[in-house]
Amino acid sequence: MTGLRTLSQVALREITERARSKAYLATTGLTILIVLGLIVVPNLFGGGTAETTVGSLGEGNDAIVTTAVELGNANDEPDDPPSIAIETIQFANRDGAVAALEAGEVDAVLVDGEEVIVANVGGFGGDSFLNGLQRSAGTVQIQEVIAEQGQEAADIIQILTSDPLEVTSLAEGDPAEGETRTITAYFGLLLLYLAVLLYGTWILTGVTEEKSNRVVEVLLSSVRPWQILGGKIVGIGALALAQLLGTIVVALVALRVTDAFDLPSIEIGAVLNLLLWFLVGFLIFAVLFGAAGSLVSRSEDANTIAMPMSMTAVVGFFVSIAALNDPDGIVAVIFTFVPLTSPFVVPVRTALEAIPLWEYLAALVIAVAAIIVLTRMAGRIYAGGLLRYGGRVKVREAWMSASE
Amino acid sequence: MLSVQDLHKSFGDIRALTGCTFQVDRGTMLGFLGPNGAGKTTAMRIVFRLLRAESGTVTWDGSPIEADDLIRFGYMPEQRGLYPKMRTLDQLTYLGRLHGMSKNEARAAAERWLERFGLGDRIGDPVESLSHGNQQRVQLAAALIHDPELLVLDEPFSGLDPIAVETMSDVLREQAASGKAVMFSSHQLDLVEDLCEEVAIINQGSVVVNGRVQTLKDAAPIRHLELELEGDPSILVDSLEGVQETRTDGDRLTAIIRAETDVRGFIARAQQAGKLRHFSYTTPSLSDLFREAVR
Repeated sequence: MTGLRTLSQVALREITERARSKAYLATTGLTILIVLGLIVVPNLFGGGTAETTVGSLGEGNDAIVTTAVELGNANDEPDDPPSIAIETIQFANRDGAVAALEAGEVDAVLVDGEEVIVANVGGFGGDSFLNGLQRSAGTVQIQEVIAEQGQEAADIIQILTSDPLEVTSLAEGDPAEGETRTITAYFGLLLLYLAVLLYGTWILTGVTEEKSNRVVEVLLSSVRPWQILGGKIVGIGALALAQLLGTIVVALVALRVTDAFDLPSIEIGAVLNLLLWFLVGFLIFAVLFGAAGSLVSRSEDANTIAMPMSMTAVVGFFVSIAALNDPDGIVAVIFTFVPLTSPFVVPVRTALEAIPLWEYLAALVIAVAAIIVLTRMAGRIYAGGLLRYGGRVKVREAWMSASE
Repeated sequence: MLSVQDLHKSFGDIRALTGCTFQVDRGTMLGFLGPNGAGKTTAMRIVFRLLRAESGTVTWDGSPIEADDLIRFGYMPEQRGLYPKMRTLDQLTYLGRLHGMSKNEARAAAERWLERFGLGDRIGDPVESLSHGNQQRVQLAAALIHDPELLVLDEPFSGLDPIAVETMSDVLREQAASGKAVMFSSHQLDLVEDLCEEVAIINQGSVVVNGRVQTLKDAAPIRHLELELEGDPSILVDSLEGVQETRTDGDRLTAIIRAETDVRGFIARAQQAGKLRHFSYTTPSLSDLFREAVR
């Protein structure tokens, strides 16, 4: 009990000292600002109308332009400004039209409804505009064919811009719910990945700092290594989670206010599952980052020593992206049982309902066992590494020189 | 009582301790002396379980020191270390709590020590804003805050001004007088001679001299003799027995003689040779013992 009391003292110091520090307040403010910016800024600019100018040479171009505008604006909400607008300039001859195209006065030139001249093919945006013209030209041709059989031309646009097939999923419940779960799992995954890379470094540099300002020798003369390491992880972890949750809440509020994105409603079970694996994943990586921090004396060396953990997180992230596509696949199953990657993979497979209960439980047991074993090992490496100064301490040396 | 028995420790090819043995009783202050690299810090770190000895034992009141015992001890490492940005009072309170004190106890003790060291008006300042000497005082307070039974200080006097040395000495004397076991390492031998009843001199990893300072001096095979007369003292030298070394400087004569030499006859002869202005016959100083021990 006194052991845990000491651990909580260490954690409490981390929280009160760090929460007061300018660095913490600044990164929190900055993160929230960036997230707000990402949500609000596209909403400010993205809502406008894309305006283009098309040159027209000869006859039969007006129908294509009109249809292109109709197609492009087919899914607009009634109150919103139109998504696209096209201005037409009539040219008398080809040379004049080409000159205008070269001067950038027009974005493309339509010739007799049969040819389109562009400055060049490819590049961002240019192709989608060209594709739009192609599609509307095709639509015009279909209209002509159908019109001979007495159909309304407007119906064609309706058919082309809707999803005519009704989707029935074999998964239970609403098919939209499955999609929601996938999105939730994806965001959970992304958050864990970011948290490991960002907050893992906090723990690492926190440990290195204590080593470089030598306070650790005072601490270790009365407190056991695992108490310091554990307290640091709990304290910094709590602050990290507070920052993360604060950012998420701000993001959710901003999304609601700006109405930029339709928020899916998430079941509480899915959230708890994500939270559980988030904590498991964060703890495993935190322990490793803490042990690594004890091996270097200067914060300059911290990045190098963090590399193996960062790379593992990257692997976990990509494996679980693969698991999103193939949740029953052999890769997904194998990495379910690897403690460093299971926190990434299992939530995805759970969200897609593609994991048997025994695999889920086994993965959890392995991961928790790994935390316990790694904490003990890390405590020893930490104890051995902390009082060795100079360059990088080898893991083996630290292990051998520790007294417990 | 702290008892360190026959410690051995190597770092790679370097043999840091080769059978280090000493004791510190409650109520006494032990000066731990030795040239640089003799193994002082290593021995202290082993007491606090910061390093693992290859062999040997460390006991407190007869039982081996376990991790749980450490909160009753106070340690001031050679490499001072405090959180630079943490406020002085918070820092000491935190360290007190790590040693098992309640928040109020720790805070009260921190305030008391800071007041004692004349830092009462700096309790809200971060440690990095204090002068070197004041940081050292805070470091000492950190070792004392929980009223430890055993106090181990690695070079507590290095880099201190005379006034700070005075404060530090007073505190250590008080601690020993109140029944604590106190040991500290130092290169300032005069200071150690002044403060400590007992010394342990370590050389190349093992303790070569250990005991009460007075006993060690009495047991030394030599004595210092010094006299000053009106007249030339050099004529007296030949009449002195057991001389190991003499030096005359004007009318002043200093000599190192064997301890068993009877100097009573010599004093009588000196008084005949001229008016005696000064005469002293003393045991060797701690510096002499130290030089002899580590030769």
